[in-house]
Amino acid sequence: MTAGVKAGPPLRAEPARRHTGWRRQRRWVLPVAGAALALVFLAPYVVMLLNSLRPSGDVVRTPPTFLPREWQLSTYAQILGDDRFLAWLKTSLLVATASTLIVIAVSVPAAYYTARFRFPGRTAFLLLVLVTQMFSPTALVVGIYREWFNLDMVNTYAALILTNAAFNLAFAVWILHGFLASIPKEVEEAAHLDGCSRLGTLRRVLLPLTMPGIVTAVIFTFIAAWNEYVVALTLMIDEDKKPLTVGLTSYVTGYEQHWDQLFAASIVAIVPVVVLFAVIEKHLIGGLTAGSVK
Amino acid sequence: MTSRHTTAARALALTVATGLALAACGGGTGAGTTPGAGGAGAATGKVSKIKLVAAEYSKDNTAAFWKKFAETYKAKTGVDLEVQIVSWDTIDQTSSTMIQNNNAPDILNLNAYASYAKDGLLYSADEVLPASAKSDLLDAFVKSGTYNGKLYGFPDLSSARAFFYNKAIFAKAGISAPPRTWAEFETDAKKIRDLGDGSIGYGLPLGPEESQGEFSMWLFNNGGNWKENGAWAINSPKNVETLQFLRKLTDEKVTQNNPGKTNRADAFNLFKSGKVGMVVGFSPLAGQLDQEKKVDYGVAPMPTQLAQPQTFGVTDYLMAFKKDGNQEAVKAFYDLYYQKDQVNEFIKAEGFLPVTKSGLQFFATDPKLKVYLDTLPNAHLTPTDDPGWDKVKLAVQQNLGSAVGSGGDPKAVLDALQKQAQSGS
Amino acid sequence: MPRARSDRASLGSALLWLGPSLLLIFGVVLYPAVELVRASFSRFSITGLRLGDAGTRNYQAVLEHPLLGTVLRNTLVWVVAVVTLTLVLSLGVAQFLTKDFWGRKVVRWAVIVPWAASLVITAKTFVMIYDYYYGTLNLLLSKLGLGPVDFLGSSTWILPSMVLVGVFVSIPFTAYVFVAGLHAIPQEVYEAAHVDGASPFQTWWRITLPLLRPAVLVAAVLNIIYVFNSFPIIYVLNDRNPGFTHDTTITFMYKLAFKSAEKDVGMSAAAGVFNVVLILLVVLVYLRFTRWREQTR
Repeated sequence: MTAGVKAGPPLRAEPARRHTGWRRQRRWVLPVAGAALALVFLAPYVVMLLNSLRPSGDVVRTPPTFLPREWQLSTYAQILGDDRFLAWLKTSLLVATASTLIVIAVSVPAAYYTARFRFPGRTAFLLLVLVTQMFSPTALVVGIYREWFNLDMVNTYAALILTNAAFNLAFAVWILHGFLASIPKEVEEAAHLDGCSRLGTLRRVLLPLTMPGIVTAVIFTFIAAWNEYVVALTLMIDEDKKPLTVGLTSYVTGYEQHWDQLFAASIVAIVPVVVLFAVIEKHLIGGLTAGSVK
Repeated sequence: MTSRHTTAARALALTVATGLALAACGGGTGAGTTPGAGGAGAATGKVSKIKLVAAEYSKDNTAAFWKKFAETYKAKTGVDLEVQIVSWDTIDQTSSTMIQNNNAPDILNLNAYASYAKDGLLYSADEVLPASAKSDLLDAFVKSGTYNGKLYGFPDLSSARAFFYNKAIFAKAGISAPPRTWAEFETDAKKIRDLGDGSIGYGLPLGPEESQGEFSMWLFNNGGNWKENGAWAINSPKNVETLQFLRKLTDEKVTQNNPGKTNRADAFNLFKSGKVGMVVGFSPLAGQLDQEKKVDYGVAPMPTQLAQPQTFGVTDYLMAFKKDGNQEAVKAFYDLYYQKDQVNEFIKAEGFLPVTKSGLQFFATDPKLKVYLDTLPNAHLTPTDDPGWDKVKLAVQQNLGSAVGSGGDPKAVLDALQKQAQSGS
Repeated sequence: MPRARSDRASLGSALLWLGPSLLLIFGVVLYPAVELVRASFSRFSITGLRLGDAGTRNYQAVLEHPLLGTVLRNTLVWVVAVVTLTLVLSLGVAQFLTKDFWGRKVVRWAVIVPWAASLVITAKTFVMIYDYYYGTLNLLLSKLGLGPVDFLGSSTWILPSMVLVGVFVSIPFTAYVFVAGLHAIPQEVYEAAHVDGASPFQTWWRITLPLLRPAVLVAAVLNIIYVFNSFPIIYVLNDRNPGFTHDTTITFMYKLAFKSAEKDVGMSAAAGVFNVVLILLVVLVYLRFTRWREQTR
């Protein structure tokens, strides 16, 4: 983590002194720079947060103010006490979680197999996966609807989950393929000698080493499914089966604007993703450290 | 450690299996089914379920109303009413997707109907609208809902534009009464501009959201129209004059910045902020202003070039799609919807205006609606009865704003639109 | 054909391992794609009703569209600007995020937020920031005596304003691909470089960058695809501008179907097919250029 700074004796005197000075300075320079960076990325969401804490009319008032003219905390209570909002939240959590599980379950074997074996059609498969990545659900929504309609699965969670899984599969296969391909074959062969079956090797030896890739794929898929809009809009009919992204649009329309509720709901919608990230982010490093120890 | 791994493995295996099963089911049947086998409920005679795709007017009321309506409907007819509420932003996409897949809803709530009637998809009033309901509809809406001599577009609610002004700004600028003519209007707008405190004379939204509505309000008050004697008249001298007037307002800087790129909602926001002296609004704007209580406003008839001020009315439609066995159920739907306590409660909750004669009486007790109700029976509508309008409207929305932008030429813009309209229909 | 024992595999066992992926890809992605192609050869009414075959008429209509050139130019500028800026800035962010410092965890959480937030909502928030009358940024500029600037309504500012948002929302994802890539570089390599007396810049240029190449390659390809297909930012920020003057091929396709005077699903489908072909070509050329096949070995 502290690459190039901690290790090795300095060869020349001057850089050494500079380094020591820098070592003392970085104690406060880096956190300050970090805070600045965090601020840049959070700035629009601070605006969002402040907008969720003022009455709707205040959001689009001219002239604007940085802070609310009138603080209003009740919007959050209103949102969290709204059954429809809670139903949207539940749908989003269910769909994003299930899609992510399916993607991991399907992509790991595929990535492992393509990384480890040569077989006819291997390049074709990888290319096919890449091509999949090019299609946006927005352009294909009519065909997607037709498919689920023919299967009588419009307005079902399964349809939405499988669609999300399919469109995010490509990324997972690619990233995992890269990670698995970089693990030396000897590691696996050693496990074989220890009497592990193929599946056992994958599970006990390779998966822990691939953790950073899996974590990346999980975050990626979860976020993509969490934010998917067009397919959900077309497929889901019942009000309580809609995900957050679709539900949120009803706060601000041509006829009425509840900016306060829109932004409060959006702030709440960010929380699960950040929590998920906070929970699994350490595996991003943990897995890698384990890898380098080997 | 080991036990955690085992659990994880079991979970993984389970999901793989589930995934496989689901995927197998998805892929297999999909390949086997011939697409385009639409038309639900084939020869069984009568349907046990109909579907309504409804536009969302407000978050708090639309879904609640239709849910209760579906319950009443079910109790009365025994037929299920499946309701899908869709935002206005996306209803075009949703309905188009359904129709492309031969899966139209039984009833669709939209701001256009004529193209659907032209495609032969709809029931006419003779087939599904109870006679009592038909005779109760206001004449202006019967006219706008009639395509090729038959009524297909059944109005669900209406709105009419009116002229909103900020009393505080008027007082400050020394304007005693709302302007009645265009000349007075221009003078008043300049007075407000000259206050020099950043006040804007007139909020003019000619951005793509609703520019046809704003322009309609002005052109009807100049004696113009979109069609005259059955032919497109978009670039008639009156209309060119109207757009030139709006361009002049822009050049004189009595409007907000960049009116050709301002959407209606933003013009309303400026009025609600107390920055704008005058704006063309409608009843939902009044509702928001009353709720916020920040701006002391008045509502007046539109300034006009004619002897009498004209107004521009809008109605949305509930149209019925022809599908096997749904006629009875659809008819029962309209029978219930046009009951006084249904249609008018819906309109009241959403803050719009009635579409029926009995509705006029129902709302007559509300003094705030008087200014709209008086003009409603004589309101001018856009030519929604012409399927060509469905495209012309989009062309107008996308192009009108350029007439007031830098280097824009009102006549050239309207000429181009006229040409497009003539070639399209 | 390689003959090593553990390398050989039959088509049958391959299908077993790849089956679920293939089912999802063929069933849920390619089947709708075929539908798209079918639609592009069909004639549709404004209502969405299929009226019959159109031959290649929809394709001709797209190619003859007077604003096609503008839209393509916008797309080129949009993709090149967003992807380049994203890659460069993300590299810096990623390097910073792998340093060890107090509070790093919180900074990492902060960086993920633009990715976690729905694009539509982020875009709407940026409208609140950019707007001429009630935008926060214009409030700031006015306080400094520099504004207001009509970021969304002026032909000069609209594209840069959109690019900024595009870069902003693309950095988190890209930075994380780079963080993962940086973690994968063995510590020993750096130690060796240090022993050899390499300066920090030399270390970065000669070691970090080349070893990060796979990650950069993946990030570049994915960003090209995402940015090209990006819909909400342009659609929301550009919604006050009439016509197609500031659209990219994706919003062009959407507006053809639902918002423009064409309102033609078939023409939109044809534009959609062009989109896929275009991005496919770009990516293949890019992969060829970067010798992708070596990476998959």
